[in-house]
Amino acid sequence: MNVSFDAPKPEIKIFYGKNSVPKDIVGQVTLGIEEEGLPFSVEEKESSDALHLAYKAAEASHLGVGIGIGENVTLHFIKFKEDEPLFSIKSENNEENLRNMGANAARLVKRMPFKDVGEQA
Amino acid sequence: MIIAGIDIGNASTETALARVTDGTPEFLASGIVGTTGIKGTRQNIHGVFASLKQALDKVNLTVEDVDLVRLNEAAPVIGDVAMETITETIITESTMIGHNPSTPGGLGTGVGKTASIRDLKKANKGDSVIVIIPREIDFENSSQMINEADARGVYVNGAIVQRDDGVLINNRLNNKIPIVDEVALIEKVPMGMRAAVEVAEPGQVIDQLSNPYGIATVFDLTSDETKQVVPVSRALIGNRSAVVIKTPAGDVKERKIPAGKIIVEGEHKKAEINVDDGAEAIMEAIRSVAPVLDVTGEPGTNAGGMLEKVRQVMSNLTNQSPKNIKIQDLLAVDTFVPQKVRGGIADEFSMENAVGIAAMVKADKLQMSMIAEELEKELKVKVEVGGVEADMAIRGALTTPGSNKPMAIIDMGAGSTDAAIINRAGKIHSIHLAGAGNMVTMLIGSELGFDDMGLPEDIKKYPLAKVESMFHIRHEDGTVQFFDEPLDPRVFARVVILTPNGMVPIPGNYPMERIKQVRQDAKKKVFVVNAIRALERVSPTGNVRDMEFVTMVGGSALDFEIPQMITDALSRYSIVAGRANIRASEGPRNAVATGLVLAYCEGE
Repeated sequence: MNVSFDAPKPEIKIFYGKNSVPKDIVGQVTLGIEEEGLPFSVEEKESSDALHLAYKAAEASHLGVGIGIGENVTLHFIKFKEDEPLFSIKSENNEENLRNMGANAARLVKRMPFKDVGEQA
Repeated sequence: MIIAGIDIGNASTETALARVTDGTPEFLASGIVGTTGIKGTRQNIHGVFASLKQALDKVNLTVEDVDLVRLNEAAPVIGDVAMETITETIITESTMIGHNPSTPGGLGTGVGKTASIRDLKKANKGDSVIVIIPREIDFENSSQMINEADARGVYVNGAIVQRDDGVLINNRLNNKIPIVDEVALIEKVPMGMRAAVEVAEPGQVIDQLSNPYGIATVFDLTSDETKQVVPVSRALIGNRSAVVIKTPAGDVKERKIPAGKIIVEGEHKKAEINVDDGAEAIMEAIRSVAPVLDVTGEPGTNAGGMLEKVRQVMSNLTNQSPKNIKIQDLLAVDTFVPQKVRGGIADEFSMENAVGIAAMVKADKLQMSMIAEELEKELKVKVEVGGVEADMAIRGALTTPGSNKPMAIIDMGAGSTDAAIINRAGKIHSIHLAGAGNMVTMLIGSELGFDDMGLPEDIKKYPLAKVESMFHIRHEDGTVQFFDEPLDPRVFARVVILTPNGMVPIPGNYPMERIKQVRQDAKKKVFVVNAIRALERVSPTGNVRDMEFVTMVGGSALDFEIPQMITDALSRYSIVAGRANIRASEGPRNAVATGLVLAYCEGE
């Protein structure tokens, strides 16, 4: 087993597709997390499959919570089956829903009731 | 011969099926279905038929095998409930915002004159300002504008924000200030007025603005003015963030609504009580005047309106003129109702005092003989109306193992609480009291502020749990239950009601403990009080202690906690009280239906 003494920071991971995703979508999602007061980090990836990215992000996150952004914005939790994410909405969406996706990622950690994110993709 | 005893109740129609040989009954099966239509009307027949069929099917018999059907003679009482607040908080001129956005920004208390963020450029060096940020201005622009003003020497001491971005603004400020966000009606905030904004640390509550002297300090109030702000600070207690805005002529009133008098007319005496004096005074009057002939309210007051409403509902139900409706028992309960504060800005609520009442009215005899005739035609079986409902119930209840005469039963239904006692000689005396399940539902609904009655009904009936993760819940007794599949995201982190149809999330931010408390208090205020009241009335000596055995029957006896509450309360009077177990197999159900069969065997 791999034991690291520099314990990774407990943060929400956001993975997004390098070429396919406008920056402001990522921005809105991170604002939602910031408002809820949780640490997060953003990484650029080659893939643009939101579901796959979300699951990878959840795996990488010390909190087990990840967001993948491609065609969709997908929120995943490490304890869920890979093909059954918590929320997934279209990336082309209004500001509020995108921010609420970020807020919900934080709320999953904080154990607070989720905000409405509109129609599921 | 085969006999069916059938009890048409307010909520369910129950059947007891028995073979009688030489006057000894052998019970074969029971049936239970929901009552169709209002008790005592023609619509009941469908329910009767279904209930009978259910019992017959269990033992492979048909309607042709039945020799006699016995129906109950229903107790002709109906009940209704009403509620009236007796205090109200109105804010005039001055105003406040006291709410708990989940994520306010900053920390501390800030004082200044209110100004729109658009006018911040006009503020002079040295001015103290509280900025108002409407929805249209996003966090980036507003934080930039505040930073600019700050650099010019304007003291921006706090902010009131419409959107949920208090933290985002705060994170971008050079000097941190308290920020209250999610203020819905921000356009109502007056400009150019002195205001104070307070935000407490996470896990703490505000202490400056929830203290009348704290407000006095902030606004330089005189002692007279300080008296007037007491309702404001009271309404802000327990919040993590708050705003108070003082306008020159401002005051906040807690107005007492003249609730009026209730007049109780007894056979020998008459009593008048102010509703303001509370439920206890009303109940004392009812006790002292008993037996009660009628209860009226002072015309033109809330009390009058409340009782007239009950009278109107009863008259519609029974097709009698309201004048002929006599209220023969009243159960009054003190309660609190969250009422929207008039003049508030963020939909604040204030807990106001209220009195809830349940009233009981004797109606005309219900048309059971009419139902019997109709049923006889349809079934082609002899149908007769058996004895009085309470007599039958007590006969049925006596089949509970371990019970004996003299015994009292308490029948807790939806509309009324009925009690009956049988002495050693077999003589039965029964009474009906106002207040039962429906009143509990009303109290739960009003104290938690739910208008829709379905939710309080579920809260009354089923236990609670808190959803603690996507995979587990904590029950109200502390035990944890895990699930294989993730739970519905809509119930995540919420308090839920564990109904047979799944988890129902409870809206609002009430902690589980509070909901449980409201539920248990409502049940105690109605059922425990009524159990003791009922026993006082039926006890031959008027003293509850002179009873030995009490059994509980009826729908509310199936509740998961009411029977224990009553057992507990009555054990203090050294009474054996518990849920009936009819024929050692039916629980508190089927008492009347069983009694109908037994009464026949005893030759009545």
